[in-house]
Amino acid sequence: MRNLLIFLMACAALIALPHGLSFSQQEILVFLTINILLVSSYRLLTLTGEWSLGHVVIMGVGAYASALFTKEWGVYVPFGILMGGITAALLAVALSFPLFRMKGFYFLIGSFAAGEIIRLLWKRFRDPFGGPKGIKGIDPMPDFSIGIYDFDFFEPVSYYYLSGAVVALCLWVLWRIERSPVGLTFHAVHWQDKLAEASGVNLRAYRTLAFAIASGFAGISGALLAHYVGTINPNSFDVEVMVFVLTWAIVGGTGTFYGPILGCVVLTILNEIVLREMGFEQMRPLIYGAIMILSILFMPKGLESVVQRLFSRRVPEGAKGQEAKT
Amino acid sequence: MLDLLAQTGLNAVYAASYISLIAVGLVLIFGVMGVVNFAHGELYMAGAYAVVLLYTDFQMPFFLAIAVGMIFVGCLGLAMERALFRPLRDNPLGGLVASIGFLMILQSLAVMGFGVRMEHIPPVTQHVIEFSDRVRLPLARLFVIIAAVVLLSALWIFLKKTRFGWALRAAAQDPEAAALQGISINQTARIAMFIGAGLAGIAGALTAPLVSVNPHMGHSVIVTAFIVIIVGGVGSLEGAIVASVAYAFVHTFVTTFWDGVIADIVGLSLMLLVLIVKPTGLFGSADRA
Amino acid sequence: MTTFLEVDKLTMRFGGLTAVDGLSFKVEHGEIHGLIGPNGAGKTTTFNMISGFYKPTEGQVRLRGEDISGLKMHEVARRGVVRTFQHSTLFAELTVMQNALVGTHMPFRPNIFAAIVGWDREDRRGAEARAGEALEFFGLDHLKSDLAGDLSHGHQRALGMAVAYASHPDVMLLDEPFTGMNPEETRQMMDLMRKLRDDGITILIVEHDMQAIMGLCDTITCMSFGKFLAEGGPEEIRKHPAVIEAYLGGARHVA
Repeated sequence: MRNLLIFLMACAALIALPHGLSFSQQEILVFLTINILLVSSYRLLTLTGEWSLGHVVIMGVGAYASALFTKEWGVYVPFGILMGGITAALLAVALSFPLFRMKGFYFLIGSFAAGEIIRLLWKRFRDPFGGPKGIKGIDPMPDFSIGIYDFDFFEPVSYYYLSGAVVALCLWVLWRIERSPVGLTFHAVHWQDKLAEASGVNLRAYRTLAFAIASGFAGISGALLAHYVGTINPNSFDVEVMVFVLTWAIVGGTGTFYGPILGCVVLTILNEIVLREMGFEQMRPLIYGAIMILSILFMPKGLESVVQRLFSRRVPEGAKGQEAKT
Repeated sequence: MLDLLAQTGLNAVYAASYISLIAVGLVLIFGVMGVVNFAHGELYMAGAYAVVLLYTDFQMPFFLAIAVGMIFVGCLGLAMERALFRPLRDNPLGGLVASIGFLMILQSLAVMGFGVRMEHIPPVTQHVIEFSDRVRLPLARLFVIIAAVVLLSALWIFLKKTRFGWALRAAAQDPEAAALQGISINQTARIAMFIGAGLAGIAGALTAPLVSVNPHMGHSVIVTAFIVIIVGGVGSLEGAIVASVAYAFVHTFVTTFWDGVIADIVGLSLMLLVLIVKPTGLFGSADRA
Repeated sequence: MTTFLEVDKLTMRFGGLTAVDGLSFKVEHGEIHGLIGPNGAGKTTTFNMISGFYKPTEGQVRLRGEDISGLKMHEVARRGVVRTFQHSTLFAELTVMQNALVGTHMPFRPNIFAAIVGWDREDRRGAEARAGEALEFFGLDHLKSDLAGDLSHGHQRALGMAVAYASHPDVMLLDEPFTGMNPEETRQMMDLMRKLRDDGITILIVEHDMQAIMGLCDTITCMSFGKFLAEGGPEEIRKHPAVIEAYLGGARHVA
């Protein structure tokens, strides 16, 4: 009962949130919502112990796919977004054949190379990817009305509600996966792959599964982005964006479900709002870089470790799923 | 046609020279400290800006500017070692994040100090060696080639003949065993970082008059360097040099006879192929990382 | 009738070194079978080939007549041959219960769609029951919510066995299961192994300390320098001149 109340209040707060913000802050809020899905999907991949540098390009695959499906074949936008996610997941399955011959550092670099190749293909092939200029005039979400509220998806507030609902649904699915025996198996693959294998776990299959799910949700986040901004190009998904995702995850901490989300929210607010308000326009990357260094030096387990200490709940690190019901 | 082949070959030799300077430094740092230094491209950029400042603005003689630039970037490397990589020695992912943070700081400093526009450096020498009508090598490019040959040979001798070099190689092979033999990890890390950063710095300084100097010039360089060290075998200096030459030739020829983006795709595909077939690289032996 | 588990002319070469050379022996269903030999005899290599960790250079491992050599470890496991590890190889960051739950992976295969929608409650309950059963069998049920990494050494060894046992194996391959255990723990563990055998689980133990498993095994195969040396009951092996020779002439001092 109490939980339900807290949940309802949180929902109300999230619904009311954009109305207290300026237009540019509302736009940031939309991006933040989409990025939360991106970084949460990234965490699912890190559950199996692999760190990719191609995740943002996979996000871009979802964006390009959805943009092209809707533009070229007239697919209804919400289906386009879903198909964008599916395309990204399928591509991940294909990529898993070369990439999962590698582990650790080699996977990191291999995923980077694969991502750069995809980006260069977008750049090289004007048809259908639009070359370096990318795709412009991507179909927006069609407007609709639910009686009490008219959704106009050029408005950030409307798009925030839409993406917020989609992201919430996706996060719920990710959460369910992590808490399930599948999530436990991901942990097992990460911490002791040999023992997991001796217990009958098909390592390749589970690594691929995590990669495909993570990529699918990254693809959905990319598609959400594409239909909001209306134009995408190869540089929208370059390694600098990847660096942001990586730092959200690491500064937030990847031991818990909320760690990367926390990192994303805190760093985005810091970067986009606080530093901008304080007038450090040009110095923002410098301060951002310094914050990254300081947080990794003095908070190596991420923001989540601070939160855990605050609530002083002893939660086994990296193993939230499947808490024994004893 | 023969002329075009010869000219492209010369261009490739020049590219191989500065790529190998950067890649060898990156390999040295990775080998000794186990850190992927993402800021390596920005160290190269810092070398280039040192020349902009000293040579263009302060009218210092070119070669003195290069030497000062190299030492300056080497010291930047020492600072990175002390402030970032040493505290994060047991946290490879942390080292990576810290180097990305440092990258952003350096890039941002360059933007604030010099602006985002490209710097034009007055040519050091207009002299061009003409082999024939259509086969020519600007003297400034020859400097880069000579510097690469001389510096890499010197590094080779340093590593094979001196006590420090021996310690460095031992640390690169097996840091723990080296520590047991009384080789100071801090000491070898400092040397590796100074040399590695210095090589990137001099590459930037020497090529500054030949390329467009801008705060984001490190990006393409670091990608190339990664390809080279993977293909050559992570941790192998010989491999890095051989792979630099091979990459430079493939890339330059594909660029000339086809197009630049395809050349990038070919380079990355080669790296992916090496990762799939032999992840330790062509010259890699032990599986590190 | 086909033999239950049969090792046939198994050979493993690492470069020029032949670690195991044409080794053959048979394991009958429902027995505790020891594989012994002085250090460096190739026991662990043999063990790793049977469990699918190494692919043999030559020869076969047959389970109920089916060639399982060269299969991946999880494929071997799915045929009912489950191994333990020499050192305390556990999911140190997970709780004891979670460790055991990973062991139930084969009988209760996770299904991602059922898990998202919530249709796998029955399976989850079944897996938990099975994991609890395995923990209880090895006397770990009071430690369910402890982290595996915090357990004592003896408990860690027991948990390793429990993870294997949770999967309902036909054959358990145990790699030096008694190292690091005190005499009391060893005695208890031996009793548990006899109980496992009486439940119909075939056990193959690799051990270099001959004395430790004399009283436990039904049959013992002794190997030396990668080759078959002798086979028989414990008494036979104890008195076998070639075995005595191998242990005395070889690495007796480490035994």
